[in-house]
Amino acid sequence: MKTEVADGIARDWDALGVRGSFLARNIDTGEDLGFAVDVPVPLASVVKVPLALVVLDRIAAGEFDPARPVTYVPPAGSPGPAGLAAFRHPATLAVGDLLLMMLSVSDNAAADLLLDLVPVPEVDERLRSWDCPDLRVRHRLHHMYACAAGACGNDFSLALELAVRDERTGRHTIETLDPAHASRGTAGALVSLLERVWRDEISDPAATAELRRLMGFQVFAHRMVSELRADSLRYSGKTGSFLHLRHEIGVVEADSGDRVALAALTRADRRASLAPDIDLAIGVAARRAFEALRS
Amino acid sequence: MDLLAHLAAFTATAEEVSFSRAADRLEIAQPLLSRRIKSLEAYFGGQLFDRSRRQVAVTEFGTSLLPYARDVLERAERLDQAARSARAARTRVVGVPAHCAPVALAGVLRAGTEHGTTLAVRELPPQQRQSGLSEGSLAYALLRVAPERATLRVPLGLAGARQLARRTLHLEDLRPPRGVAGLPILALEEDELPYAQDRLARAAARAGLPETLLRPAGPAAAALADTLAGRARLLCAEPFARQHGASWTPLADPSLHRGYEVGASESHGETGEVPQWLAEALAEVTR
Repeated sequence: MKTEVADGIARDWDALGVRGSFLARNIDTGEDLGFAVDVPVPLASVVKVPLALVVLDRIAAGEFDPARPVTYVPPAGSPGPAGLAAFRHPATLAVGDLLLMMLSVSDNAAADLLLDLVPVPEVDERLRSWDCPDLRVRHRLHHMYACAAGACGNDFSLALELAVRDERTGRHTIETLDPAHASRGTAGALVSLLERVWRDEISDPAATAELRRLMGFQVFAHRMVSELRADSLRYSGKTGSFLHLRHEIGVVEADSGDRVALAALTRADRRASLAPDIDLAIGVAARRAFEALRS
Repeated sequence: MDLLAHLAAFTATAEEVSFSRAADRLEIAQPLLSRRIKSLEAYFGGQLFDRSRRQVAVTEFGTSLLPYARDVLERAERLDQAARSARAARTRVVGVPAHCAPVALAGVLRAGTEHGTTLAVRELPPQQRQSGLSEGSLAYALLRVAPERATLRVPLGLAGARQLARRTLHLEDLRPPRGVAGLPILALEEDELPYAQDRLARAAARAGLPETLLRPAGPAAAALADTLAGRARLLCAEPFARQHGASWTPLADPSLHRGYEVGASESHGETGEVPQWLAEALAEVTR
């Protein structure tokens, strides 16, 4: 039955021109289902989850105060539609609230400010020390856009064309879409990370509890959770969208006590920045997996 | 004056030829016995006993009344017996839910016979079982109570045309694809109780289902036909679904299940207590 569900999801995705990995695991029973779980994929904004955990780990260790103020001066940061990245005037925020901005509205500028505090190599090293070999953090968020702009100027529809073409040929013109150079991860590594965060089996319980709390504030509900929205269900997640990449990882928790960790990492064969059918297909996959794995 | 108690004091003293032995036999205090004899003497207007000798003796007046006193007491005793046997022969009606297994109901009737009680069963909706008990038309009834307080619990589930590939059913699982109205969930009369309906409606809303999907089933046969035709889901217990060839999956949330306790009437001379043998036989009915 679990194989049937996984095969059905792969078939539905294929019909929409979506390739990628999917993994869902019941956090308490360990039962799981999915496909292509060990294929490395550029993480896009999903990287903000391991980044947040490393920052929270430093806070829990007393290395810095979550109330410490940080000043952001646009337009030095990454472009983005929400949060500080969309600000036009300087603003000062506490580190703890930068984490909130980064996880709730996927604020790229907040992420890069946090990477000023904990540089990329230190984040990567901390993940290695936690035995997450399939998770790599290799660049600032700003770098994703810089690479796309480097290849195509400011024409993101051209970048999208390139991304889709490169996907067919397997040669990557945009460096941050190449798993060999991008911050990358696998569905398996991301689900394991979520599992360890939800079971307090990584970092410090204060850090994992705060990460769970902040991931619950994500405002985007159009993708993984689109078919799992009800008062009796709680969802904590993080999307990642860049050009033809549409990812999301998260945990669904039901009033009945069932907890399922999910990761969907997709690449679409489509030159469109909006593809609600693909978002919905990811949501349908999440629902089918949750229903198959809950007790 | 309780004439029967006073006559009993008179005959006992006459037979025992002693105030103290008569008081022992009647299990009353001797001063009370003496008072009763005195008030009876005042009532009849003459001495019943001669208390001047060493041993008490019945007077001539007393001797002439004694056979009549005995006759009154015997007749009173027969009247009591007649009332007792009439009470035992009366049929006691037990209120039960609709669609119980006939075999289990036969078990209730047989248990009654074994314990000298004539029982009859009557299928009634839950609110009528409650009111029948308080007004006395029912002697006993299976009453609906919240499952967490109940002594007997019956899992409720949804009957459908096809077997679901799961052990238990969460209401969230029933959400239809976006923009499509889901299948109605039909509730039998047995579940049309304010508290049960309210619980189910609230749980459905929290699980993302429109409350209008919850509807009364009406006659069970029509509701089953809709269910077997794949046009509805019927809220019912497992034996009912299986008996009619429908698949059945229990609701995961036990607070939505049925709860019962056995109630007894306190009117018309009933004690308000449920005999253990009846509680056991009725537990079988809910299985």
